[in-house]
Amino acid sequence: MRADFWRKKRFVKLRGLVRRPLIFFILSLFLLFPSFFLYAQEDNQPCYGDAIIVGSIGEPITLVPILAADSASQDIVGLVFNGLLKYDKDINLVGDLAEDWEVSEDGLVITFYLRKGVKWQDGVPFTAEDVLFTYKKLVDPHTKTPYSGDFERIKKFEVIDDYTIKITYKQPFSPALASWTMPIMPSHLLKNEEDFKHFARHPVGTGPYRFIKWETGSKIVLEAYDEYFQGRPYIDRYIYYIIPDQSTLFLELKNRNLDYISLTPLQYQRQTNTEFFKKNFRKYRYLSFGYTYIGWNLNNPKFKDKRVRQAINYAIDKEEIIKGVLLGLGRVCTGPFVPNSWAYNPAVKPAEYNPEKARQLLALAGWKKKDKEGILLKGNERFEFTLLTNQGNVSRRKCAEIIQQKLREIGIKMHIKIVEWGCLLDLIERREFEAVLLGWGLSRDPDCYDIFHSSKTGPREFNFVSYKNKEVDRLLEEGRRVFSQSKRKEIYQKVHKLIYEDQPYTFLYVPDALPIIDARFRGIEPTINGIGYNFIKWWVPKDKQRFKR
Amino acid sequence: MSRRFILSGSLIIGILIILALFAPLLSPYDPNKIDVENILSPPSKAHILGTDSLGRDLLSRILYGTRVSLKVGVVAVGIALLIGVAIGALAGYCSGRIDALLMRFVDIMLCFPTFFLLLSMVAFLRPTVFNIMLIIGLTSWMGVARIVRAEVLSIKEREFIRYIKAMGAGDMRIVSKHILPNVLPSILVVGILRMGGAILTESALSFLGLGVQPPIPSWGSILMEGKSVMDIAWWMSVFPGIAILLTVLGYNLLAEGIRTLAISRS
Repeated sequence: MRADFWRKKRFVKLRGLVRRPLIFFILSLFLLFPSFFLYAQEDNQPCYGDAIIVGSIGEPITLVPILAADSASQDIVGLVFNGLLKYDKDINLVGDLAEDWEVSEDGLVITFYLRKGVKWQDGVPFTAEDVLFTYKKLVDPHTKTPYSGDFERIKKFEVIDDYTIKITYKQPFSPALASWTMPIMPSHLLKNEEDFKHFARHPVGTGPYRFIKWETGSKIVLEAYDEYFQGRPYIDRYIYYIIPDQSTLFLELKNRNLDYISLTPLQYQRQTNTEFFKKNFRKYRYLSFGYTYIGWNLNNPKFKDKRVRQAINYAIDKEEIIKGVLLGLGRVCTGPFVPNSWAYNPAVKPAEYNPEKARQLLALAGWKKKDKEGILLKGNERFEFTLLTNQGNVSRRKCAEIIQQKLREIGIKMHIKIVEWGCLLDLIERREFEAVLLGWGLSRDPDCYDIFHSSKTGPREFNFVSYKNKEVDRLLEEGRRVFSQSKRKEIYQKVHKLIYEDQPYTFLYVPDALPIIDARFRGIEPTINGIGYNFIKWWVPKDKQRFKR
Repeated sequence: MSRRFILSGSLIIGILIILALFAPLLSPYDPNKIDVENILSPPSKAHILGTDSLGRDLLSRILYGTRVSLKVGVVAVGIALLIGVAIGALAGYCSGRIDALLMRFVDIMLCFPTFFLLLSMVAFLRPTVFNIMLIIGLTSWMGVARIVRAEVLSIKEREFIRYIKAMGAGDMRIVSKHILPNVLPSILVVGILRMGGAILTESALSFLGLGVQPPIPSWGSILMEGKSVMDIAWWMSVFPGIAILLTVLGYNLLAEGIRTLAISRS
């Protein structure tokens, strides 16, 4: 009875509509039109305003661009400063502070034509003087910068006029152009300064955002620079919250107190599939330009022997780590280049998981006997060491736990020590470590001279594991001399193979980058270069803006 | 009432001791066995309490965690009692300058916020189970010292002590044979109460990632891991939480029972 009743009623209703098609059509048009109109406006007309609140587990170490070596520092530096060149969405070099440039036939001379009318955030015009100053600081032995290597190859630095620079290199140097993505610092503010103490916490650049304040351990606030030469960014303020714990970050995001964080694989795969997240956030996933590794202190007698490092490589099951830690969101790393780099050598196959082979190699290296606990012995020394990693990164902690278990199976006792980020960098700088679990974010040029060349083992330099291999040294030098990409590819593929054989690092995985951003932001276009390259073009429709000035 | 407290308290503690002793027999799995195919699987027949974010069996980990917790409770409190009773008895019995000096020292120690004292000590020492016990013991004896001193002060003025003194007994003998046995009920109560506290402290340290280091399972560190996945894996926070709650409750019931019993006797 009841079902019948409903059916009847619906029928009547339908018939009513069919009878008056015109009214129906007009009505629907009327209903649809305003929203259609709204959408059109939203999608095409970016507008100014609002703030983006970014959450990060790391606090910057310094905001001096030529000293900034950690990703947190670089996040902020990248917004406050510009280099002469930058990478576009397809990872091609394009002009930034330089409008144009020329490379001489022999590759020895680069002439940069600087953009005119660019002003520092304090109103002083930007000129060639600033580039000269930055260059001088980079090669000054008193400046403890890890980036000096690229600039020490310059023979002559000439300022032709305020907007033209001619740089002559001692030898052809192929990463030269890429090295000029180095942010430029203001000469007028720093030339009379003894050190960068004040500037490190109160930077002034030419970039899209002006530095406002830095509350240690809490947040950094940046504000759109109205006279930015590429046009004022749409988003008024950039607020960088430092929350050294990934689950707290996630809870803050869930409460909508943060707009932009990096998700952990678990959060990406299992915790953000609800209606709430689909409605309020957008998730992105792309292979990152970086890898996670264990760096061995090669001055430590235990890890000096290549066979020991190879054994450890065989004993660690990378597929298991990717499954367990990344929940499949990443790939096995086979060396210092990632699969989306042109220097990547696909012929280098990752060592299979083979504990038996590991045991044999260890025995060859003299670790034969075992004590009561089942730990390997060489003379009276037990194979025991501490792996350091940074606090707050759940993936790294889990990774360490899996490795700990795998090494225990072949008779190596590994302790895990989780320390605060700044403290970890300090320990590395003083070389007070046996092994570290860390990640490298890579530049787009494959030149990894700073990380693996034997001349780069000094304090604050990047070859902190003290890796020395003559052949790799030679290839790295050659890779810098040759300009043709196909020849460089050959060279770096060799480097890739040699380093994987030597295992100064145990290469673990290339994780996927997993950013999540509040859905109110528009203009985000993921490419192979990630999402950050067009940040100044991100915007929020007026009606969705949450923060007023 | 007090008997019921003692009974239920000792029942809980007794069960925990049995669980801790026979953890290897009772655990269905190796507590450190990683199984990446079974990450965060909910309670099921295969894994009664579910698995953690590396696919390890939660029941096994909690059982092994009992060992850590009980051990920390007993040893840390043992250390605290040793120091606390010695200093308290000395201060109470000698009185005068020694008393003033010792008590000011206790005051100084009490001035430090205990937890921060703990954190800074952990930062210096390697966080092994033994060091954690030592540190907790070294930072929690002050309360014991105060209580013992107060008790000793009141007992030494009693008639029977004067008699013994008049009969020519030495100080050591008086303290160890006549005063301390009378303070024992209070020491027992304080000690048992502290055990709950020590277990909580260890959990708190492990929760902050500064306690017992991986892979040794500790309730606090399981709880910490659970916190980040509370919305998808409730079992990771609920079960270790219950374990901590029950243990502390057991100790407190026992202590309360003994205390009321002692009061009604005297």
